[in-house]
Amino acid sequence: MSSFIQSVTQSRVWKSFFRHGWPDDELNRSLIMTTNIFFHLHPVKVSRRSLKATYSFGLGIIATILFLILTVTGTLIMFYYVPSTESAYQNIVHLQTRVPYGQLMRNMHRWAAHAMVLVVVLHMARVFYTGAYKPPREFNWIVGVVLLVLTLGASFTGYLLPWDQLSFWAITVGTNIAGYAPLIGDDLRFILLGGVEVGQNALTRFYALHIMVIPLALAGLVSLHIWRVRKDGGLAAQQAAEEPLRFEQEDA
Amino acid sequence: MTPQTGNSPEQDQRFARTPMKTYSLMELVRGVSPMVEKGPDDTIFSFPMVALLELILLIGTTLVLVIFSLLRDAPLEELANPDVVTNPAKAPWYFMGLQELLLHMHPLLAGIIFPGLVILFLIILPYIDVDKSDAGRWFGTARGPKWVFFTTLYTVVMQTALIIFDEEVGLRGLGAASPLILQVIGPLLFGVLLFGLPALFVRRYHPTRREWMLVLFTIILASAVVLTISGFLFRGPGMHLYAPWNMPGGYNPWSSL
Repeated sequence: MSSFIQSVTQSRVWKSFFRHGWPDDELNRSLIMTTNIFFHLHPVKVSRRSLKATYSFGLGIIATILFLILTVTGTLIMFYYVPSTESAYQNIVHLQTRVPYGQLMRNMHRWAAHAMVLVVVLHMARVFYTGAYKPPREFNWIVGVVLLVLTLGASFTGYLLPWDQLSFWAITVGTNIAGYAPLIGDDLRFILLGGVEVGQNALTRFYALHIMVIPLALAGLVSLHIWRVRKDGGLAAQQAAEEPLRFEQEDA
Repeated sequence: MTPQTGNSPEQDQRFARTPMKTYSLMELVRGVSPMVEKGPDDTIFSFPMVALLELILLIGTTLVLVIFSLLRDAPLEELANPDVVTNPAKAPWYFMGLQELLLHMHPLLAGIIFPGLVILFLIILPYIDVDKSDAGRWFGTARGPKWVFFTTLYTVVMQTALIIFDEEVGLRGLGAASPLILQVIGPLLFGVLLFGLPALFVRRYHPTRREWMLVLFTIILASAVVLTISGFLFRGPGMHLYAPWNMPGGYNPWSSL
């Protein structure tokens, strides 16, 4: 058996896939992080303090996980949904009553969307109260503010798609707020809706924003956000772990 | 392979197996290594610990979501009908703070200026508070937690009182009639009160910049939470205040999630 495993892991094909050995020593544990596109967003080493559950509560990672779940369930729902005022509502009814696990998929998409908004806000509060926005992390804090706005946008545009009374009036009320902007308000609302009221044009625009524009922007900026955490020296807890030593020296 | 001579063109040269180079020490500099004063860095390899934690969070989040989705269905009302207005007509819950604010003042203030100022504050925050000596510590200073607690308490009480005052009495009830006072000056005065009182109190203790930010951010966050809960949970038909469990016409605020 071990000679079989060895012949597989020593083969040309295996080695063309994985450019490091089994990650049980320091060299290979470094290589697995730097040669894997997903792991590459992480640092090779992290401070013990930054892994404490009560420091970060894992909120950023949970938000990313929810985004992944939303991408998967959203794609599955897309197979059954046409963004037309004629058929959208019937598609949702069909999804819930006829499609195996359709109701579950829609439930997961809905609840994950609400959870993502909540988790992103909590994540921002955590970053603020731990002072993790301070230099050199100013830029990443701003990326985070943009991500918060995009998350709200993703959820809001998705809210219209079932085309029921709830979504119609929520989007009417919501876009009315944009209409209050001085000078550009009415134009802004017109651009969002593609008309003066919520109709087929609004549904088309919200659908394109919801399934393509905002998710692409989110995916790109989330990658930048996580990569930048590594570039700025890991979680701010790492920095705090180093500080007391410096103070002790100054006191002496 | 023979070493190339200096006569051959640049692009034809190949590096020899045994280069005819020598290496020598060029300079001695006075300095310290990058780890001086950093102490033991107390780090561990990300693999497998971080990967494992992320896997646990992935499984945990998915599990909680699946169980919740099996227990509660996403709402679906009747087909959209532009001729039948729902009562109340509410935005999604995360915009209910804005919609609540709109009930109390001029739409330009509630819908554009205040949210705009909050976004502006968030963007310039890291350029106001730049002292990084307390980064990575919950609430920064020793008195930080106490200040955040009391600011939250004050904001929740004050904001709730303002909402109930406007619903039950209002500036109109006090005799004001001009739209300028009702919609702009009155709400601005209440805003000054909301932020000004804690500022006057806190100023006596010579707060650091981080502590100023703690107080300011906490007032904004706690206000947003109170306004959102009020708008989402306590507003019923006609956008009036009711107990969430005792809404007229059997309206259930939770059904609009």
